[in-house]
Amino acid sequence: MKQLFIASIILIAFGSCTKDFQATNQNPNQISDEMLKQDFNLVGSPFSGMLYELHGNQGSQTQEDLCYDSWMGYMNTPTDFVGNVNNTTYYIRWNSYWGRQYGNIMSPSKQVIQLAKDNGLPLFATWAKLIRVLSMSRLTAIHGPIIYSNYGSTASTILYDKESDLYNTFFAQLDTIQSEFGANKTYAGFAKFDPSYKGNISAWMKVVNSLRLRLAIRLSKVAPALAKTQGEKAMADPAGLIATNADNFNISLLGNIMPVGMICFQWDDTRMGGPIESFMVGLKDNRIAKFFSPVTDPALYADHPSSPYKGIRNGAYIGAKIQRVPFSKVSTDFNTVQTRRHFTASEVYFLKAEAALRGWTGAGDAKTNYETGVKLSFDDWGAGGADAYLADATSKPINYVDPIDSRNNFTTPSTITVAWNEADSRELKLEKILTQKYLATFTNTLEAWVDHRRTGYPKIPTVAKNDSGPDWGVIPAGEFIKRMPFVNAERTGNTAGVTDAVSKMGAGAKDDIATRLWWDTGVATNF
Amino acid sequence: MKSLLLVFCSVLCMVTATFAQTRQVSGKVTGPDNKAVAAATVKIKGSTTATSTSTDGSFSIKVPAGNVVLEISSLGFATKEVSVGAAQSSVSVSLATQSSDLSDVVVTALGVKREKKALTYASQQVSGDELRKGANFNFMDALSGKAAGIDIKISSSGAGGSTKAVLRGAKSLIGTSEALYVIDGVPMVNNKGGQPGSYGGTDGGDGLSSINPADIESVNVLRGANASILYGSQGANGVIVITTKKGKAGKTTVDFNHSTIIDQVSGIPDLQFSYGAINGSDYNWSKTKSNYYQNNYVKEFFQTGVNVTNSVSVSGGNDKTTAFFSYANMSVKGVMPTNTYTKHNITLNQSTKLFNDKLTVSSNVIFAYEESKNRPGAGYYNNPLTGLYLFARERDFNSYKTNYQVFNPDRNIYKMNWYSTEEKQNNPYWEINNNSKLQTSSRVIANVKLSYDIAKHVKFETRANIDYNDVLRDNRYAAGGNSVSVSPNGTWSYTKYNDQALYADGIFTYNNTFGSYSVSALAGASYQKNTFNNGMSVGNGTVALMYPNFFTFANMPYNVIFNQTINRTIKQGAFANVQLGYKDMFYVDLSARNDWASTLALTGNQSYLYPAVGLSGIVSQMVKLPEVISYMKVRASYSQTGNEVPFNVVNPWNSINGSGGPTGIGGIARNTQVPFTNLKPEIIEGNEYGLEMKLFKNKIGVDFTYYKDISTNQFLSLAAPSGSGFTSYYVNAGRIENKGFELTVDAQVINGNSFKWKTAVNVSQNKNLIAELIASNPNYQVGGDDEGFASVIRAGGSFNDLWIYKFARNTAGQIILNATSGVPTKAATQEKVGNVNPDFLLGFNNSFTYNNWYATVLVQGKFGGVAFSKTEAFLDSYGVSQRTADARDKGMMPINAIQGTTAVTSIDPAIYYSAVGDRNKIMEPYLFSRTNVRLGQLVLGYNLKSKNPNSIIKDANFSLVGRNLFFFYKDAPFDPEQSMSTGNGMQSNDVFGLPSTRSFGVNVKFTF
Repeated sequence: MKQLFIASIILIAFGSCTKDFQATNQNPNQISDEMLKQDFNLVGSPFSGMLYELHGNQGSQTQEDLCYDSWMGYMNTPTDFVGNVNNTTYYIRWNSYWGRQYGNIMSPSKQVIQLAKDNGLPLFATWAKLIRVLSMSRLTAIHGPIIYSNYGSTASTILYDKESDLYNTFFAQLDTIQSEFGANKTYAGFAKFDPSYKGNISAWMKVVNSLRLRLAIRLSKVAPALAKTQGEKAMADPAGLIATNADNFNISLLGNIMPVGMICFQWDDTRMGGPIESFMVGLKDNRIAKFFSPVTDPALYADHPSSPYKGIRNGAYIGAKIQRVPFSKVSTDFNTVQTRRHFTASEVYFLKAEAALRGWTGAGDAKTNYETGVKLSFDDWGAGGADAYLADATSKPINYVDPIDSRNNFTTPSTITVAWNEADSRELKLEKILTQKYLATFTNTLEAWVDHRRTGYPKIPTVAKNDSGPDWGVIPAGEFIKRMPFVNAERTGNTAGVTDAVSKMGAGAKDDIATRLWWDTGVATNF
Repeated sequence: MKSLLLVFCSVLCMVTATFAQTRQVSGKVTGPDNKAVAAATVKIKGSTTATSTSTDGSFSIKVPAGNVVLEISSLGFATKEVSVGAAQSSVSVSLATQSSDLSDVVVTALGVKREKKALTYASQQVSGDELRKGANFNFMDALSGKAAGIDIKISSSGAGGSTKAVLRGAKSLIGTSEALYVIDGVPMVNNKGGQPGSYGGTDGGDGLSSINPADIESVNVLRGANASILYGSQGANGVIVITTKKGKAGKTTVDFNHSTIIDQVSGIPDLQFSYGAINGSDYNWSKTKSNYYQNNYVKEFFQTGVNVTNSVSVSGGNDKTTAFFSYANMSVKGVMPTNTYTKHNITLNQSTKLFNDKLTVSSNVIFAYEESKNRPGAGYYNNPLTGLYLFARERDFNSYKTNYQVFNPDRNIYKMNWYSTEEKQNNPYWEINNNSKLQTSSRVIANVKLSYDIAKHVKFETRANIDYNDVLRDNRYAAGGNSVSVSPNGTWSYTKYNDQALYADGIFTYNNTFGSYSVSALAGASYQKNTFNNGMSVGNGTVALMYPNFFTFANMPYNVIFNQTINRTIKQGAFANVQLGYKDMFYVDLSARNDWASTLALTGNQSYLYPAVGLSGIVSQMVKLPEVISYMKVRASYSQTGNEVPFNVVNPWNSINGSGGPTGIGGIARNTQVPFTNLKPEIIEGNEYGLEMKLFKNKIGVDFTYYKDISTNQFLSLAAPSGSGFTSYYVNAGRIENKGFELTVDAQVINGNSFKWKTAVNVSQNKNLIAELIASNPNYQVGGDDEGFASVIRAGGSFNDLWIYKFARNTAGQIILNATSGVPTKAATQEKVGNVNPDFLLGFNNSFTYNNWYATVLVQGKFGGVAFSKTEAFLDSYGVSQRTADARDKGMMPINAIQGTTAVTSIDPAIYYSAVGDRNKIMEPYLFSRTNVRLGQLVLGYNLKSKNPNSIIKDANFSLVGRNLFFFYKDAPFDPEQSMSTGNGMQSNDVFGLPSTRSFGVNVKFTF
């Protein structure tokens, strides 16, 4: 038994020697909260990453390029992904923005809000809440109901917010955010963590007002009174709106390549869209050279030899990838840009132009707003000739020709011109505003998809190849995709929540791509 | 090298010469059949002087003057004492066979030797000689088919590639479920590098290839947790116990071994070369047949592989000190052009007895250096085989071969010349010539062992071991390559790290007998600190380097992150084992081990205890059995083993996410995992029952085991619900059952004077059931769709069930064609179509001897399961497979389909094959039976023994060796045992992996 005795001693010796276990089990290449407290990095350090994630940049190809960039005709892919049956042709293969927003914005911001409270830095919580509204107001524009007020619940079923409730929540939170910012205009604590405005609170206050105006315009048809109240509030707020290109809300790419540049130049998976070719070539828009690269083979643009650009139809019939790789790439500038646009003064002026048409107080003159929007966009992109462009009352979008496959050809549905005509109907004026807004929001195209569903403008062709089906919902000929379905993880993991969310979209709603969102009233007229 | 050898010889000679003797006795030891008994120990009784017999049974020993008694012993024979008179100078000894394997001693856990009859669990020993017969470059490859119950897959990447060896089925969802490897009692590091997936990659190798097969004395396979409980959690998946060669007292022996093995590609897909593409398409869907297209370039691409191995070993010693030294080198030219592999091994061990032989000090040092260049990968990206196979037939391959790069005057740089811009296609010659992949590993395993006889029955042993491996992986992809995977200025992927394992243990053993009772007991403790992947990795991906084709840290753009990597664990164990025996016929074995694991820190569960109990009875000793049964033993055991969780999952910290912009700092990615402070170890319960028999005077041996293992508390990772505030969490849940049997039958079929035939059959079956994962979420699964191939672990199924898309069919079984286009449609959801693991393993090993000639024939079979070829799926959709040409030759192909309401009986092959295959389309046609039966090894040899005791060469051996020569049966278009990945997920799947090879060559051995 002697040996057992000695063994027991060894055992006890080892048994008591486990105190370094915890340190051993930490990864020394990860940074602790304790370490982050130095220089007050703890609360502020997640912000640049959260801002970057507003566009879901890392998932840009599947959630942006192959979704609304394609559906709205800005870009389209030369690649026959999944046998040319994919999101671009209305058969859903990828649905990833949801996961990125909850995983990379909502979840870390929850911690940030708590840390801000624990560390006596309440304005960081305010800032985090603004980023949440920015993020979730994008997400609801894609899916409709989303998890917002119940976020962070430990219940097994987490209920979604009905869209009408959600917008009220957004507006109420923007009120609080604005008053908290307003009381701390000189606060300098954000500077280090804010690649967009270097911690300038006043600049963020302009974002708050501009965001309120954007959301108000979304609701201008479905809830005109609420929209008007909120829109007027945004325009009347003394902090002002994003009004010059210097005010623009641009987001740092944190050293990454602009996604559209990566997808285009490195993967050869995206090219200019056919509809934007139709508008920009037809309207003689000088921004085309800032957005896109010319092609070298004149046979590709034989239909308009003076303008060496060729795009790919939205929802196109795609054969071998090699066929359309020579089409127009985006501008090579996208290989080197350090920031991307998230909210520009130009968009604000187009919002104000629409507000003016709707008679909202403080909106000013529709024509002035419209023309300022166009000029700001030309300036922002470094394009010249805005005055001549604005004076052009004759040029119209052109018909599109696909030099590879004529099934992709289309006759332009839009006959809009650029020059403002005070005698036009409000409907035509709105089309003009939203066509220019569409062109100005290149690379930040979600709101253009919202405008198109909400108003039908700009007039773009339907997909050439419609693969929608019972799996994800049928889009009848002549119609457009209405929304993205809820994600599979939620369908399986929060089934009751999803069922409830579908019921919140109204009678007859389905969790498919054919169900309209709340503000997509289906009413053809806009006034 | 030669001088080193001489030094060693002289050292050993001096050791031998320092002993004082008076006279020489020589003799010969034979068995009952008058055949020489080699390696028998000849010892002077009452002394420690001993020698061993050479292969012809002869020995020579120096004995003191006067009468002496020699003790002659050898495994399998009864020990015999022979008196030698004072004047006698030679003696002949005839040994009788031991009546059973009662005295067989096997090496069990912790290097403890136990009599096989006393074991309460299954074990199977394979000798090093047997493993070396086929001249395999990896000893685990050589083990395949030679032991029951072990499922071995070898990476298809060739020499230096990794191995997957699973005993009794997969037990753990997160781990690899692979066996633990133990060298001379000490766990060995087997930290596997990354494995290829659908998109690409190269086998990162593992720790097994650095072992020199020539150093292995024997390998003992401990299949169940019951056998390995003393290793604690790491032995939960069974243990491969490697015993290395040691010096033997007596004569100095020098062995030289050479083998040259030729590898030939045997599994090139069946390709067509008569239909090209139209209009410059990537797809070969022309219907016009041509007889003029180039058709040899695929075959010509591959080269004949050559593996040359030389090894030399020197061993010897006296009764105080023994030593063993070996050096081996291997030089391999792979079947893929530009692929090479070289390896150098040096092993040195010694053992010295001190303090009146009470203390034995032994040490063992193993050095290994491996260098592999351009090891073939698999998958879509940067793989020469995609472009090679999919090449548009009407084009001129030879011009792309000759001009694989063209000068780009715009950049003053070469760029790849290839017609397709597809992300997965490269010019194969650009790929092999301009993209270099280097992998090196420099490894030392060193240990010291002290063994002290404290008292008559009590011994204390302590060991310390360090296993250190320095690994480099340096892949360089030239500027101007495929823009999807390579940056405009080239791509560099650099990984450098070391793996370090420190191990120490102390064990007391006690052995005694009290009348009819015997006691064998041990108690000890061990300490293990593993620091793996300690180093860094950096890769610029598609972010451009600053200057083209220059691969150094300074050339990295600011926005590339340098990752530091580490994975470290400390494990402490205390263990005890008692075995009680009664009259050599009945044994009870009790074990317990307590582990303390650092990976469970903060959980309160870091200390966990588990027990094992076993019984065995020698029935043939208890009762009188029929004459035919010479020996019969039954055994049963139960064990429980804990399995710790991975490093750093309990409560990880935050990481720095991104480099920041030129003007801003990179953000912090906060840890959004739910803290898991109630994490528990996984528990594996093992039950096994065995029967061992010797029949017909030991001519036939039978060893049967039935087992059932149940794994619970699986460590599962789940995506947290979107609204929960977190992104992921872990739970302990699930229940996995593995049950099956293992049967080994060996027989001396013919045992004539000159002709003998010995045969051994190893069969086993494992049934795996995922009884439960997460009870509240029956749809929970591990693994998901990987580009049309889903290898899924899901409750109610088995480990790695294969789910794929089949055709959409109506109730009558007709394929539903699209109503307007007539294209076959795909089912809405994936369907389970089988399991990628085999059900039943067979090894049938035969050895024949006729005088000095011998032959071994190994037939290996794996039965059941499904295999899946995405390679074929691509070949079909690109119209390059022979099957698409055959279909086009006939015009239309038959189909049982329906379009709208019209039955369709034939379809255009172009429409059909364009609808199936590729990445994510209908994968049903690419499902094959996994079953294959092969002639795994064929050896034909001749032993030449020197009759002259003074000749320099004592004996020699020449053999012709063949491996994987042909298949008796194979359904899959690739070899499921030469796998593209040795990870969990991509088993029995092929995505442009290197085609299988057959090998043959010569093996020569000389003993001096």
